[in-house]
Amino acid sequence: MIELRKVSLKYGDREILKNISLTIKDNAIKAILGPSGVGKSTILKLMLGLIKPNSGQIIVDGTDITSMTETSLYAIRRKMGMVFQGNALFDSMTISENLGFFLRENMKLPEKEVNRRVTEQIQFAGLEGYEEQLPESLSGGMRRRVAIGRAMIFKPHMILFDEPTAGLDPVSSKKILSLISSLRNDNNLGAVIVTHIIDDVFNVADSVAVLYKGEIIFDDSTEKLHKATHPFIRSILSDKILEL
Amino acid sequence: MSTQHLPARALELIRIFQEKLILELKVFFFTMQEFFWFSTRAFVAIPKAKRYWRDVLDQAKICGADSLPIVMVSAISIGALLAIEVGNLLEDFGAKTMLGRSTSISVIRELGPLLMGLMLSARFGSRNGAELGAMQISEQIDALRAFGTDPIAKLVTPRLVAALIMFLPLTALSDFAGLHSAAYMAEHYHRLDPGIFWNSVYPRLAPRDFVVGFLKAPVFAIIITLVSCFNGFSAKGGTAGVGRSTIKGIVVSSGLVLIANFFVSKLVLENM
Ligand SMILES: Nc1ncnc2c1ncn2[C@@H]1O[C@H](COP(=O)(O)OP(=O)(O)OP(=O)(O)O)[C@@H](O)[C@H]1O
Ligand SMILES: [Mg+2]
Repeated sequence: MIELRKVSLKYGDREILKNISLTIKDNAIKAILGPSGVGKSTILKLMLGLIKPNSGQIIVDGTDITSMTETSLYAIRRKMGMVFQGNALFDSMTISENLGFFLRENMKLPEKEVNRRVTEQIQFAGLEGYEEQLPESLSGGMRRRVAIGRAMIFKPHMILFDEPTAGLDPVSSKKILSLISSLRNDNNLGAVIVTHIIDDVFNVADSVAVLYKGEIIFDDSTEKLHKATHPFIRSILSDKILEL
Repeated sequence: MSTQHLPARALELIRIFQEKLILELKVFFFTMQEFFWFSTRAFVAIPKAKRYWRDVLDQAKICGADSLPIVMVSAISIGALLAIEVGNLLEDFGAKTMLGRSTSISVIRELGPLLMGLMLSARFGSRNGAELGAMQISEQIDALRAFGTDPIAKLVTPRLVAALIMFLPLTALSDFAGLHSAAYMAEHYHRLDPGIFWNSVYPRLAPRDFVVGFLKAPVFAIIITLVSCFNGFSAKGGTAGVGRSTIKGIVVSSGLVLIANFFVSKLVLENM
């Protein structure tokens, strides 16, 4: 479980998040919806302790990580998987090495088990034949799947997805969404999906928080979103895609 | 003239200048503090370096084997140049037999290590700056952190260890090449008998000449690696930012190499 308690964050003089409180439960998929530049990626980075808030607390599985040092945060982060908005694949490593990175690095699994899991993931993501390629020679959708596989392969109990479907064609994005919803059925995982595409929310999320101008203007189950009265939510429901 | 007589505009300018200066100083000290922590963490992770032995080997190849040509070229040219110029000078005093002594001291103590340091900060330093800078702006360093891996232990310490190991043999090879190119020039340009040349080299070289020269290798290794990696880690602002941080890394590490070169020589020569 991840909890944000009254979190505020500024970049220089610009206030990005104003007193935000948010709870992410295990075994459920939560969407964070909001226009571009509102601070969605920032929230995910806060949850991992990659950046620190100016005030407020971030609590992961009962531990307050707000003022933890970088070294003590590593253990907390290893429980979570993160899919970065720009994938952030290690570009000097092959696809297999990218996928196996966490298993070798942190779980110190025997090489045989690493290879087994990597092969399984390659098949799952439909990347057969690309095992020894570098990320640069893959298409955007393929890289996305590698990034997702890299986060899923070590079976974390919470995965943070930053815009998993942005910039993908409808077929690829459908594949990725069904992959995400299968997580819940197969592995009993919790997940956070950051997105600005409202269809994604209806497709996979159990509950949704809407972030607008630094504040959470809605935080409830996905069905209730239809009944929300906030003008911003009304406008996105009618347009379906968020443009500012 | 009291400040009251100054036009308001000038006072305003002075105030702005003061504020800027204070801000710059703050940034400078903050950066220094960050650099200090960065370096400490790189050193603290050295015992764990064997976990990343593959990275150490890769980096050893990059800063050792791959840098060998440029280091040799600079050593050979500096040796040859010294032999020619110093030979001309000594000839005026009729002291050409001292050629070996003067060139060998310059090569081993000063110019050899210095030139090698500058070449390596251009070659190894720029590579570190650009590579780590690109990793930083594409969030690969954040990805390492997100996976619970210390990016300093994984990326910086192997480079530091590799440089510490490889700079010593590079120094030895560069000394060897520099001396032999000097000897070659002494023989073929100044028509000095090789026996005379080498006779003035070996018996006169004191241990401290080697201490000075070889102490510079690890000092430069530390300066070049930490400065260039730190600048790579601090890159921000897209591809132009990577360029800026790479340049900054090279400029600062070359400057520090020049300064350290002076102080190592001074300290050792005063105390030995
Ligand atoms: N390192 C930084 N320094 C300064 N400002 C930043 C930094 N990172 C993000 N910001 C600012 O913080 C705000 C939120 O950024 P963030 O990346 O979280 O937005 P986002 O909601 O993920 O947007 P998008 O949907 O476009 O990815 C933006 O206005 C951005 O300009
Ligand atoms: Mg974002």
